[in-house]
Amino acid sequence: MNEFLQGGLYGGGIIVAIMSSLLFVLWTERKMAARMQSRIGPTFTDPLGFLQAPADVLKLLQKEDIIPEKADRALFNNAPLLGATVAIAGAAVVPFSATIVGADLEVGVLYLLAVGALGVLPVFAAGWGSNNKFALLGAMRAIAQSVSYEVPLVLAALVPVILAGSMKLSDIVAYQSSHHWLVVWPFFLGIPAFGLFMLAMLAESNRIPFDIPEAESELVAGITTEYTGMKFGLFYMAEYLHTVIASAVASALFLGGYDGPIAPGLWWMVLKTGLLVVAIYWLRWSLLRFRSDQLMALCWRWLVPSGVVLVVGAAVWVVFAG
Amino acid sequence: MAVTPPPLRTVDTGAGFRHPLYQVMLETPGLTVGTAALDDLLSWGLTKAMWIFPMATSCCGIEFMATAASRVDIDRMGVIVRATPRQADVMVVAGTITTKMAPRVLKLWEQMPEPKWCIAMGSCAISGDFYRNLYSVVPGIDTFLPVDVYVPGCPPNPEALMHGMMRLQEKIQRQRKGENVVPELNPDLLKITQPSVPRLNEATRSPTQTLEQERASENPTLDEETDPLVVPPSEPAPGLAPLVGADFQALLIELGVAELPKDGPPVIPAAQHLELARRLKGLGYRQLVTIAASHWPAGKGRKGADAAEVEHHEIAYALRTVGPGSRLASWAVKVPVAEPVLTLAGVFAGADWQEREQFDLVGVRFAGHPDLRRIMQTENATTHPLRREFPADAHLAPWR
Repeated sequence: MNEFLQGGLYGGGIIVAIMSSLLFVLWTERKMAARMQSRIGPTFTDPLGFLQAPADVLKLLQKEDIIPEKADRALFNNAPLLGATVAIAGAAVVPFSATIVGADLEVGVLYLLAVGALGVLPVFAAGWGSNNKFALLGAMRAIAQSVSYEVPLVLAALVPVILAGSMKLSDIVAYQSSHHWLVVWPFFLGIPAFGLFMLAMLAESNRIPFDIPEAESELVAGITTEYTGMKFGLFYMAEYLHTVIASAVASALFLGGYDGPIAPGLWWMVLKTGLLVVAIYWLRWSLLRFRSDQLMALCWRWLVPSGVVLVVGAAVWVVFAG
Repeated sequence: MAVTPPPLRTVDTGAGFRHPLYQVMLETPGLTVGTAALDDLLSWGLTKAMWIFPMATSCCGIEFMATAASRVDIDRMGVIVRATPRQADVMVVAGTITTKMAPRVLKLWEQMPEPKWCIAMGSCAISGDFYRNLYSVVPGIDTFLPVDVYVPGCPPNPEALMHGMMRLQEKIQRQRKGENVVPELNPDLLKITQPSVPRLNEATRSPTQTLEQERASENPTLDEETDPLVVPPSEPAPGLAPLVGADFQALLIELGVAELPKDGPPVIPAAQHLELARRLKGLGYRQLVTIAASHWPAGKGRKGADAAEVEHHEIAYALRTVGPGSRLASWAVKVPVAEPVLTLAGVFAGADWQEREQFDLVGVRFAGHPDLRRIMQTENATTHPLRREFPADAHLAPWR
């Protein structure tokens, strides 16, 4: 009973904390995008446009909920919910500090990869359920992309697992705090694996430069073409959740997680995650989008082979030097 | 002339609403204040995040893009431009809407979820402007869409559109408070911006109004005394003659045409022109430059020998050889209006669309054409607007 209570409290707390962090993330992105394009960004919602995200949500809540007549209602209605759920489910195993962790599973990394793979389902449900050609084309692209980039993602996540000798995220962080952060030593394994992980994660969450599933110039709005109001809002939110949680996982796997001097662990985790989120948005507003075939070529011709080399390298390192 | 514009929308203020729960709400202290505050919050959310669906068809679209770019930055008021109507709140119609486009605009408007608003940006969207008497242009989008804010200009500058958005915010907030918002229109301006076609929100507009009644209510803008058929004589361009191939001339002599007339293409008997086109193609004239038809009514108002002409179509054809030293071959065919012309679609694939266009606009029928449908006008159009009897200022109403 005690465990259930603890799990409920921790889980609820973590979900509330991450949801409220979206407020900052959305504002940061709008403002950053504006600054990078010599604009100002939202200013009409005081202070400094900070209340833009609540205004968006209030508006989305008031919009008419349109379900296309020939849509598959069950798929169409449940896809946004499933999308948001899957996006936030990854947060369960992320250690935000030595004590704040929802469920410190023995197979934490495996769980994360499994939840990441589930992300294909809502996309497919939305694309198929909308009964719209643009949504279906977007879903096809998204599935091809997600399934392909799963491979380099797994390979990159295997590197810290092999080095730390555990799939438990808190063990990986503990290994890094007793030895070195993986991007520091062995850096020739840690830095490429970190880069590979971030690239594959960007592709998994369909962000620029890998956002071909919702390429506006070709596919109207991709899988969300037929969604109105808060259903679209949930997809929108899931995208940001994905970014935040992917950044948190990457900082736990490669940047030493909550490990850091002076300040308590939680602050280090928040700082590292925040920096990674900013880096992702920086990339998003700097780069153009890949073409579909270039995207696949990048994955299968470059990322997968380099992932294999990294995994073999990590094994050799553990046997002979570790 | 005093013009009293009718209200855009009527707002139900709740007077006469009898419901036990409503009575409880009125009598509970503080509850009305609370719901009013909640409503303020909701309308704040509506006005601070108005996402735009850009219905940009022409030059106003460029100013619209400038509004979203760095100098004006409409994102300051929380505006995002969405590509799908399902996620948009405001449709900005920026540009001329043709009768063929209008049903699509209406469809996109109907795909937007409520609550939604419409901004008519620029004089073409407001009234059709100087295209408004043209057969193909809608004289103002408020003939078929409920417009909330008019942004005048040709095109309006980005600041004007920003101002229009702010007026829309103001309007939404005032309407949520139960005020009846009426458009402020200067009567003099009204005469210019509102042509005599009935608007969607006008009480005087009858849904059963016929085309004749509508036409009778309009201001004639064309001088009817002017005879459109008197054409000043023109000299042939000096550089044109050497271009015409000698082989084409030889072919014409073979067909019985003695020499090239100076003021236009030689007229070929209608029965021979398909054969002529085939043989020219064999001689290397492989590019079909144009097919242009014109409609000539019976000789009224015309001089000399032309006065005796019966009503007929004249279709001019032009072919070219491809490559350096290009040679031109052009001829015309005259047929009475009731008779069809033989199609060239079997000889030149490009004749397909050109003949469809001449059929659509002038009404020439092409015998043997594989797919003689309308191409420029709406699918359900009934008229051929380039015929002489077609009134120059007629508003057809297929967009309603």
